[in-house]
Amino acid sequence: MDLEERLGILAENAKYDVSCASSGSRREGRDGIGNAASCGICHSWTSDGRCVSLLKILLTNACIYDCSYCINRRSNDVPRAALTPEEVAELTIGFYRRNYIEGLFLSTGVVRGPDHTMELLIRAARLLRETHRFNGYIHLKLVPGADPLLVEQAGRYADRVSMNIELPTRESLKLLAPDKNRDAIVGPMRTVSGLITRSREERRVSRKAPLFAPAGQSTQLIVGATPESDLQIIRLAEGFYNRLAMKRVYYSAFIPVGDSRHLPALPGPPLLREHRLYQADWLLRYYGFAAHEVLDEARPDLDLAVDPKCGWALRHLHLFPVEVNRAAYEVLLRVPGIGVRSAKRIVRARRQQHLSFDDLAKLGVVLKRARFFLTARGKRLETLDLGESVLRALLTAPAPRPKARQLSLFDGVGGDESVSVLTGEL
Amino acid sequence: MTSYLYDGTFAGLLTVLALVREGGEETTSIGTAPPAQAGLFAATVRVEADAEDAERLLDEIGRRMSPATAAHLYHAFLSETEGAEMLLHHYLRLGWQEGRCLDSLLSHPSVLPVHRLAHRVRFEAHRLKGFVRFREVREGFYYAPLEPDYRVLTLMAPHFADRFHDQDWVIHDVRRNRAIVHGARRKGWEEVALELTGSPVTGGREEWFQSLWRRYFDRLAIAERHNPRLQQGKVPLKYRRYLVEF
Repeated sequence: MDLEERLGILAENAKYDVSCASSGSRREGRDGIGNAASCGICHSWTSDGRCVSLLKILLTNACIYDCSYCINRRSNDVPRAALTPEEVAELTIGFYRRNYIEGLFLSTGVVRGPDHTMELLIRAARLLRETHRFNGYIHLKLVPGADPLLVEQAGRYADRVSMNIELPTRESLKLLAPDKNRDAIVGPMRTVSGLITRSREERRVSRKAPLFAPAGQSTQLIVGATPESDLQIIRLAEGFYNRLAMKRVYYSAFIPVGDSRHLPALPGPPLLREHRLYQADWLLRYYGFAAHEVLDEARPDLDLAVDPKCGWALRHLHLFPVEVNRAAYEVLLRVPGIGVRSAKRIVRARRQQHLSFDDLAKLGVVLKRARFFLTARGKRLETLDLGESVLRALLTAPAPRPKARQLSLFDGVGGDESVSVLTGEL
Repeated sequence: MTSYLYDGTFAGLLTVLALVREGGEETTSIGTAPPAQAGLFAATVRVEADAEDAERLLDEIGRRMSPATAAHLYHAFLSETEGAEMLLHHYLRLGWQEGRCLDSLLSHPSVLPVHRLAHRVRFEAHRLKGFVRFREVREGFYYAPLEPDYRVLTLMAPHFADRFHDQDWVIHDVRRNRAIVHGARRKGWEEVALELTGSPVTGGREEWFQSLWRRYFDRLAIAERHNPRLQQGKVPLKYRRYLVEF
């Protein structure tokens, strides 16, 4: 098989890994080629609207495991292909020099054993860093069950390392991925988390101390393949963020890529649920929310009709409205429709002036939802105290769109009655 | 009542802004060409760019207001929007009164439009850092054409000079006939006038990488998540002409 064909196969099977981030690492292009921009750069977007920033590819799609959700499972009858670490490095450099990508995301099926596979991944990364003197972004997948020493080595070459937890609970994992076990996944995560902390401390003492995964670690789990509630998922994510200093948890709406009797038949991937989970995830990471505020045992699943922050606000109407000129930054962040950027702009602008709703609109604060939860200069936009049910109806109402219609040349010439009613010229 | 003309460079504009700050006369317009409809009593003054004046003004803006103010000025200037010069004039005039607070007056009618323009320029510059596609036209020489809305080349140059410092490359603004030329050995870049007389010839190796990239890109989309509207929001059609994968 020629390289192009293999590239096609290996890209096709790598695309279910969601992570595309190229951010969080800053490296200047001193000698060798490339640098890493801390804000991350997207280079293109595919027809499903996902961004392309890294060359996301598998070293091989052959695998000794048989996980039923995975397209590369042993029992699946698909064409198999492999790239050598040398080929991966050459492709990465060729694409990088043409500015197609920010770097490499290298994952793989497991061949022979975890250690052997991990060594192959490390070899590709080392080739890039040492032979090609590549300073761009590298994301390496860790193989569950690989030796901790190999994990440590991987982090020396990569900006980010990740291992997918795949399913939220031990039971689901056992059901769908009988060859993997949870401890073999969480164990290395702990190792990585410890190594990252240690490296940060060492770098504080000496700038020359070696880097270890400067862009942190991430993980991914599948949503909708197993019966877990959103509460379980969000709690798991919160644990990752708080205890393992995880950078990102990715959620991937389940897309049937096989017909196992353990897998549910869904009409389509639960994209809206995935979207709501991401919103809840953002609340945990940027908005100072705790998992138990977003969801609790009484309502274990996210409301698909309104976003999680709206949902929270509707349950806590007694806290609103808040005065935009006085509320603390943390309180502003909890107002539906106000994001980090808007809250910062409000805090900055109100040092100089007393803000009105007009000013808010000029600052670029979107008032569609926020208007129900704010006062400005003591005034509300909505004069009535609306109850929860009315508010919910207003918030979920589809945005009114003016209906497009073909205008007639002679319309309105003879005096439109509705106009005359308004103007009084009857 | 005076209309000022300058040469279209940032230094030229700064010279005008320094001049109108000192003179008491009311400024009616600043532009590169005489206004289409000159006022009956307006005088027209042609100002020569003075690098020293410009430098001094920028320096003072940095001290009295903030370095961010100077950046806003430059970025909004790069938008080449009609009337931007007068907006900057009003912005700066407010700045002499307000000092450090200037850029916190986010909803002020003299500040908001300048911030908006500057933001749009910066956003395009950032977006194009991803959309530049180099073609290897000769062994080790890379060429990338672009048609940006704003004059963003100088904002993008440092990024690429750092990233591909061992590479000879040209980023060409086809619409304005300007280009950033970077030489690997001279270790630096400069903005020059550049007109394309023929289409660049690419070799077999370049074609090979392009077809690899296209193959890769096509295989990456997940059919079940098809969402071309989202894609078009992220990659507007106006940029697709020079993107290898579209």
